[in-house]
Amino acid sequence: MALIPRATFEQIRQQRLEEIAAERKQGRKVVGYFCIYAPVEVVQAAGATPVRLMRGGQAAEERGERYLRADACSFCNACMGNFELEPFYKQVDAVVAVNTCDMMRRLPESIERHFGTPVYQLYLPRTSESLPHRVAEFRRQLDELANRLARLTGAALSAERLDLEIAAFNRLRDVLRQVSDTRRVSSPVLSGSTMLDLEATAWLLGPVKAVSLIDEVLRIIAARPRSNAHRPRLMLGGSMLAEDDRWLLKMVEEKADTVTDILCTGTRWFSDDVPAEGAPLDRLARFYYGRPCMHRRPNTEMYKYAQRMAREFRVEGLVYKTLLYCDPYAFEVRRLQEALGIPTLCLDTDYSIENREQVRTRVEAFVETL
Amino acid sequence: MSQTGQTGRTSETADWTDPKPARVTFDEWLELFDHVPDELIEHYHYYDNGESWSKYLFPPQTFAIYGARHLRRLKFDNSLAALRMWGLVQNETERLFRARQIGRRVIATMGDLGAVPVIVDSFPGCVAFYPDCIWWTPFVMESRVLFDAAAELGIGDATCFSRAALGAFAKHSYFPDPDLVIASTGASCDDYSGVEQLVQSFAPDVLWVEEPLRQECRIASDECRMGVPRETQAAITFLTREYERVVERMERLAGHAITEEELREGVRRANRVRKLVARLRELTFRDAALAALEMMVVEFGSLHYYSDIGEWTAVLEHLLATAERRAARAERVVDGAALRIIWVTPPADPLLLTYVEDKGARVVGTEYVINQALEVMDESRPPLEAIADSFMAASLIGTSRARAESVIGQARERQAEGVIISGILGGSHCAMEARLISDYVKQEMGLPVLEFDVAPPSNEVGLQLQTRIDAFLEVLRSRR
Repeated sequence: MALIPRATFEQIRQQRLEEIAAERKQGRKVVGYFCIYAPVEVVQAAGATPVRLMRGGQAAEERGERYLRADACSFCNACMGNFELEPFYKQVDAVVAVNTCDMMRRLPESIERHFGTPVYQLYLPRTSESLPHRVAEFRRQLDELANRLARLTGAALSAERLDLEIAAFNRLRDVLRQVSDTRRVSSPVLSGSTMLDLEATAWLLGPVKAVSLIDEVLRIIAARPRSNAHRPRLMLGGSMLAEDDRWLLKMVEEKADTVTDILCTGTRWFSDDVPAEGAPLDRLARFYYGRPCMHRRPNTEMYKYAQRMAREFRVEGLVYKTLLYCDPYAFEVRRLQEALGIPTLCLDTDYSIENREQVRTRVEAFVETL
Repeated sequence: MSQTGQTGRTSETADWTDPKPARVTFDEWLELFDHVPDELIEHYHYYDNGESWSKYLFPPQTFAIYGARHLRRLKFDNSLAALRMWGLVQNETERLFRARQIGRRVIATMGDLGAVPVIVDSFPGCVAFYPDCIWWTPFVMESRVLFDAAAELGIGDATCFSRAALGAFAKHSYFPDPDLVIASTGASCDDYSGVEQLVQSFAPDVLWVEEPLRQECRIASDECRMGVPRETQAAITFLTREYERVVERMERLAGHAITEEELREGVRRANRVRKLVARLRELTFRDAALAALEMMVVEFGSLHYYSDIGEWTAVLEHLLATAERRAARAERVVDGAALRIIWVTPPADPLLLTYVEDKGARVVGTEYVINQALEVMDESRPPLEAIADSFMAASLIGTSRARAESVIGQARERQAEGVIISGILGGSHCAMEARLISDYVKQEMGLPVLEFDVAPPSNEVGLQLQTRIDAFLEVLRSRR
């Protein structure tokens, strides 16, 4: 039996959608964002509602190909399609996009051109060595973003408010870590697919309501008996897993436990807290600049992160799913496999559903070898 | 014939007169080469060196024997200056190994396409080269060897041809193992950034340099109309700091504390190249004084001067003298009445350029994603700041809108009749940019646009692509 029925998440989402729509009628702005480098604290402190845009889907991808070439990454195409199809995307007043991979950097131009939604592009240096002038430039970018968001909402952004939001999101990170860590044990109660649902819902609800939800989930986990059966312990990696990739996790979980991940839509969002020392924007600059990702150069920290997670969660295999034409992740498959030294299943797919049974065969064969 | 040049390395001593300007075949050049006096063959040397090993004036056949099979299918400008250019360009691999033999430091500058070599070449005894340019090699060699080598390392077919650079690092035979890799990344393409990351396995010493985003307005608003000079200045300041790191690292490598005057001289040398290229662009695009193929080689020479800035400058002077003479006599290497097109790339397959010209079109403007290498630097500014400032013209660090504006500006100036956008399947920016640039051009100019992906290396232009190009040119003709 599922820890939390899927219908519950759907219900929460629907309620949240109605809340957001009602808030917008009162003049509150909704700001969409894509990745772990988007400073949600700044958005929230500016008086806007941050909503993570993380839907994929075949229909959206196909719709997106009206605007982008088919060899744009599937997520970018789906993103364009979802601005037409997905109710949450339709609520978005502005987007915060971070200069990460090349395609995500260029996506804003197409969003603005075709949908008229303003996109605030935050320049994050790709180089990972945190030299003072680089962090200072990113800090300046955050300042500029704060000013733009304040202009959007009409609310001044104070240091005190930012401090509060940093604390609130740190609390959210903390409870997400706690719930994720319940998977350190053998035969964990929490599945990877439920974790994905929890994360996606948390980013939608905002920190206060999300913490309340996750606290409840933690209570349920504590009360639920664990199975004695040992199943292979897998880690998920690769390009972002959209909510629409739940099918893959469910498929894997028929045969194995997904006990952790190295995804931007997973543990990498909450693996660390914004540091406590310093002025709020300085702290945010240091924090976000230091987040690991495959697109950073060099991406040594991402490898260290993957090795740490694999070790701490006693991972026996890696399921590494890349999106078609996602170069930053696709190029690293071989290196990562060597660095982790564990069996790896590489899946390179778009959001189409036609190949699912082929994927099932590969997943089952992979698990059998473990 | 007069082979004038400011470097003094060309002379009027040999008895040679360029034939009437024309594009000639590989075999025709061999016949012409029989008439090139030995004195001239002995005259041209790379690295300003009189040794016999540094000669490079050979017919294209010489390079075809060593694997450049594609040359057999191209058409070449029949001037001595163009032959000299091909000789120097095709000789680059040998030249880089020679550089190592004669004790020069060999620095691989990757990813920024035009800026870092200005700094590296300011250091005595140092040679910069772009592994990026190896992307031509599979085409010129008509071989998948480098792509296969890249695939073995994890970069498969659905990505930029620049992956050939990774294969070349793995093979250790296309250039000497560099003393230092300076890898620029940031607001650049993913494919090449990924290549740079994997190259780190083969290069013990990599300095990462950040290319900042050029933040532009993408939609009309009051803020946009006011422009964003503050942002641009911040990016220049940031990039200058990055270049200071390059200088510091180069000083350690070369054991030489560089002076500001040496850097200024480096900027002046690079500017000399850029000014020559600007004039050649003008004469080619306006007067058809050179063909598209040679002009492409000239433009890409601004990246790193084919690893010999002195000789490359002399070659450009020679080409310019030829082009000026042709313009003065109203002689053209391609029909001046040919269909006028702008070519937007990353890759312009040499065979495609030849094909398009054979079919009655000529290139009157280009956007080869190397704008930064064409921008003349402000010599009155501190040198690193001047380099950083010129880099703000880079094609890839800004929006597609900015690239489209460059295309539209050229199209207006030269009354272009159509635009060709050639991309790469799976190339990260091609997938996002091509359609936008096409839309902007159609919307603002009403020009027909042909957009296609360049095929993998082959010995012919594919029939489907031939049909598309033929149909496109037919459309342009019908609009006259």
